[in-house]
Amino acid sequence: MHLHSQEIVLRIAISSDKPDLKARVGSGLGTSKYLMVIDLRTMAVEAVANSGASGHGGGGIQAVVLAITKKVNAVLTGYCSPTAEKYLTANGIEILTGVKGTVAEALRHYKKGDLQKHIDVVRKSESGGPRIDRMSLFQALKTSFNQLITLLPVMAGIVLLIGLFNAFASKELLTYLFSGNDILDTLWGACFGSIFAGNPINSYIIGGELLEYGVGLYAVTALIIAWVTVGLVQLPAEISALGIRFALVRNAISFALSIAIAFATVGLLNFITG
Amino acid sequence: MIFLYKNKYLSNIWRKRAVRLLILPAAVLLIYGILFIIMPDKTAMAIKSSGRVFLNLTIPLCLVFILILALNLFLKPAYIAKFLGKEAGIKGILFSVTAGIISAGPIYAWYPMLKALREKGADSSFIAIFLGNRAVKPFLLPIMILYFDWIYVLILTGFTILGSLAAGYCTTFVEKENRR
Repeated sequence: MHLHSQEIVLRIAISSDKPDLKARVGSGLGTSKYLMVIDLRTMAVEAVANSGASGHGGGGIQAVVLAITKKVNAVLTGYCSPTAEKYLTANGIEILTGVKGTVAEALRHYKKGDLQKHIDVVRKSESGGPRIDRMSLFQALKTSFNQLITLLPVMAGIVLLIGLFNAFASKELLTYLFSGNDILDTLWGACFGSIFAGNPINSYIIGGELLEYGVGLYAVTALIIAWVTVGLVQLPAEISALGIRFALVRNAISFALSIAIAFATVGLLNFITG
Repeated sequence: MIFLYKNKYLSNIWRKRAVRLLILPAAVLLIYGILFIIMPDKTAMAIKSSGRVFLNLTIPLCLVFILILALNLFLKPAYIAKFLGKEAGIKGILFSVTAGIISAGPIYAWYPMLKALREKGADSSFIAIFLGNRAVKPFLLPIMILYFDWIYVLILTGFTILGSLAAGYCTTFVEKENRR
């Protein structure tokens, strides 16, 4: 067994164009016709065909899927694309590129622990903890900025609507809808939250403003929970993805639970705060 | 050629997404415009009121950005797909809860993955637990605490997670009963 990155490597995969240990290591992970999967404990060898290596594209990702399915800890190859490398390392698989010679030679060097002398690049798996370099920080900043930007338009719309509501709607209208009866108000809150869907941030803003208007916490809590867990607007999409039975049952149960959670939450809060 | 096609395809997706995101604010602005002509005083009051809410949200939104950044730095989406539905029992439940909590973006983006998992035999309860836990968003805590007491936030978060487990169990139970 070979010690690598303070992890015991038990299975490795070496790319190759023939299902033979004497064959040369494949020049590219996505273009190699086989992955030679070797169990370092038993030295059992399995030649797994990469159906994506036909040259029509997708061979790299197919090889990544094979490596993950075969539960290998390291992949040895001539070249690996940055995308395939990203997926392999994200799944805890070490990738060693620039490997030359035959599969048997690469295996021998790897077992001896001196393969690094014969290759140019080693990419550690990310299972040992996340590495933050300038590139990943830049990528994370970009993703975060995009996520925040996509939150803002709808949130701005909701805030502007609240402004309109504050200026034009009367308190009587809300009192008419939310009469002060906890059970009925909670039901209304759950219904309101079920119709609309989207980011929870908007339900917090609406809920907070409703509280200012004197609407009860039971109703607001049911609204917040139903806002995300129940979605009449997105029901067609859920039905098409997960089936009509699952979607209807899940939404109905989540609606009932939003009311139950509202009572449990506010009940416990009242008990704690007196 | 493929690259150009891909770019065109992606820009179409972004255009559709941008239109969907901008419909609400654009419609509200239109209402503001009309109301401003009819009742300028009251509309000015509405703008003032909205401005106050925006101002209250500024600092919590900065915190939200920092939390989103931390999540993006330390949690990779590949882990979500890797863990969800992979294990059975308690481990599977914990993975589904965690995946639901850390999942970001609109729910529509997650349906194809959930569909694929279901087709691969992932238990219905895990999918329901995942969907239930999307209501728990740690990076939105600053906004939630701005409007509600932190004890309330803590209790609600706990009950939401418990509720998602109940939803998972009940959905599977009802589905199985219906099949009989």
